[in-house]
Amino acid sequence: MYNKNRQRVFMLMILPTFIGFFILYIVPTAMSFFYSLTNWSVYNADLQFVGLDNFKMLFEDSKTLAGIKNTIIYALITLVVQNAIAIVLAVFLDKKTKSANFVKSLVFLPAVLSILVVGFLFQYIMTSADYGLLNNIVQFFGGDPVNWLGNKDIALYSVIATQVWQWSGWLMVIYIANLKSIDTALYEAAEIDGASKMSKFFKITLPLLYPAASFNILLSLINGMKVFDVILAMTQGGPGYATETIMTTLIREGFNSGRNAYASALGVVFFVAVFILSRIVIAFLNKWERKIS
Amino acid sequence: MKKNILGKSLYTIGLTIICIIMIVPIYYLVVTTFKSPEEAALSPLGLPKALDFSNYTKALEAMDYLQALKNNLIITIVAVLLLVFFATMAAYVIARSQKKIFKVMYSIFLVGLIIPFQIAVVPLYQIISGLNLMDTHLGVILVNVFCINLPLSIFLLRGFISTVPIELEEAAFMDGCGTFKTFWVIIFPLLKPIVSTVVILNTLAIWNDFLTPLLFIQSPEKQVLLQQVYRNVGPFSTDWTSFFPMLVMSTLPLVIFYIFMQKRVIEGVVAGSVKG
Repeated sequence: MYNKNRQRVFMLMILPTFIGFFILYIVPTAMSFFYSLTNWSVYNADLQFVGLDNFKMLFEDSKTLAGIKNTIIYALITLVVQNAIAIVLAVFLDKKTKSANFVKSLVFLPAVLSILVVGFLFQYIMTSADYGLLNNIVQFFGGDPVNWLGNKDIALYSVIATQVWQWSGWLMVIYIANLKSIDTALYEAAEIDGASKMSKFFKITLPLLYPAASFNILLSLINGMKVFDVILAMTQGGPGYATETIMTTLIREGFNSGRNAYASALGVVFFVAVFILSRIVIAFLNKWERKIS
Repeated sequence: MKKNILGKSLYTIGLTIICIIMIVPIYYLVVTTFKSPEEAALSPLGLPKALDFSNYTKALEAMDYLQALKNNLIITIVAVLLLVFFATMAAYVIARSQKKIFKVMYSIFLVGLIIPFQIAVVPLYQIISGLNLMDTHLGVILVNVFCINLPLSIFLLRGFISTVPIELEEAAFMDGCGTFKTFWVIIFPLLKPIVSTVVILNTLAIWNDFLTPLLFIQSPEKQVLLQQVYRNVGPFSTDWTSFFPMLVMSTLPLVIFYIFMQKRVIEGVVAGSVKG
């Protein structure tokens, strides 16, 4: 009796949640896969299967291809730079002093701001207009002004810099928590062996940061692949296609141009790209894990 | 001894450089809100000549601030409460029942951690229209709860509930407490640490979510703070020092939340980083 009634109550407790998730996540995701094989658009009410035509179109469209390429570059560079900076900050700030604590909370602060707001702020800071703060600083130190967001070779990296500024603190606090779990006896033993600070960092600290790193690396990869808000605020995809990303293309094609099937196909490509890249990254991470165990 | 002093001053220099990099953009944002465009162009980093709040009054009106703030609060608070309500129950069932059907449901929930919901936005738009939820706060709330944030919350909660000893519940059941009541009276209070993590992570995510309201809310009086900021950037492009207060005011509530809950927020971020 206990068990049967209990299972019924269990079902009542989980079912509404599952139905909500099914209707608002599973169904639309499945529909995206389905629509990617059709010719559905707002101009074309009569739905037909077109096989892989959307994908063919997509890979012939230089603007969409630029978006895919930019997204991958964006995700990989933010992954490496953000994590490298976060690890250095974590090691540097993992102290109990008042000043270290203050700097820690300051470095984390931008993570509570919205990406859109940070994007707008840096759009003004990096502008090539006369009042642009960054160029004023560069000129103060005797440099030449740079067209941070207007030069197609630089724009994407300028956007990346703002996101590194915003999110390194988030990754840092996760690395710091990991550092606290490392047994100090290891460092003492290394000290007796006469190890330098550098070799302690590379031989002890870095390998034992694996748990935090494996989480942070996947987090930065997936968030990087979704990049959207900051592009909207800073460059709207320009100059040319220099900062178009998968999400900006998907939203434009799906909502502004009404090419629903095309946008769905891009969604599928997005999923495949995320999937393959995370597999590759996980393979790297596993290699690292084997090395330390 | 000498080496120690050198190391210490190098450390202080390092801290100062980090501080400058973090503070200058935020300082620039705040001081600019008190200046006219001419003054800001002339001395971008100087202190404002006078503490002039006229940019703020202009911004308050242009972005319909109180209304937008109310919309943000409604969406964030209701969505976070619903998430806690639904996700804790679901996670509890998954953690406690051996039945296969619940394990299957769990693996379906976990698909949400692997496939980003962004690929589903076009059909999602249709579904929300079909449910007559377009241009309503409820639509944005439901998307945030069930489409975007549910899987991670369930995942974190389930991991925690598995560590809560089951004997407590059995004792309660012996005393005649039903399963549903046992959960809310005995188990839920024990989940405080992980629920606080779920609340913090979701509050940050939902308050700062721009894509969902952008897609699903059109009426100006229903828009959230970020939509108001986005709408005003064009009209204010030449009067940009009046635009900056909008950036300040749209993020101020969360900054205050962070200042008071700093330790909790950072603990939440760390607790949310356990991987499966």
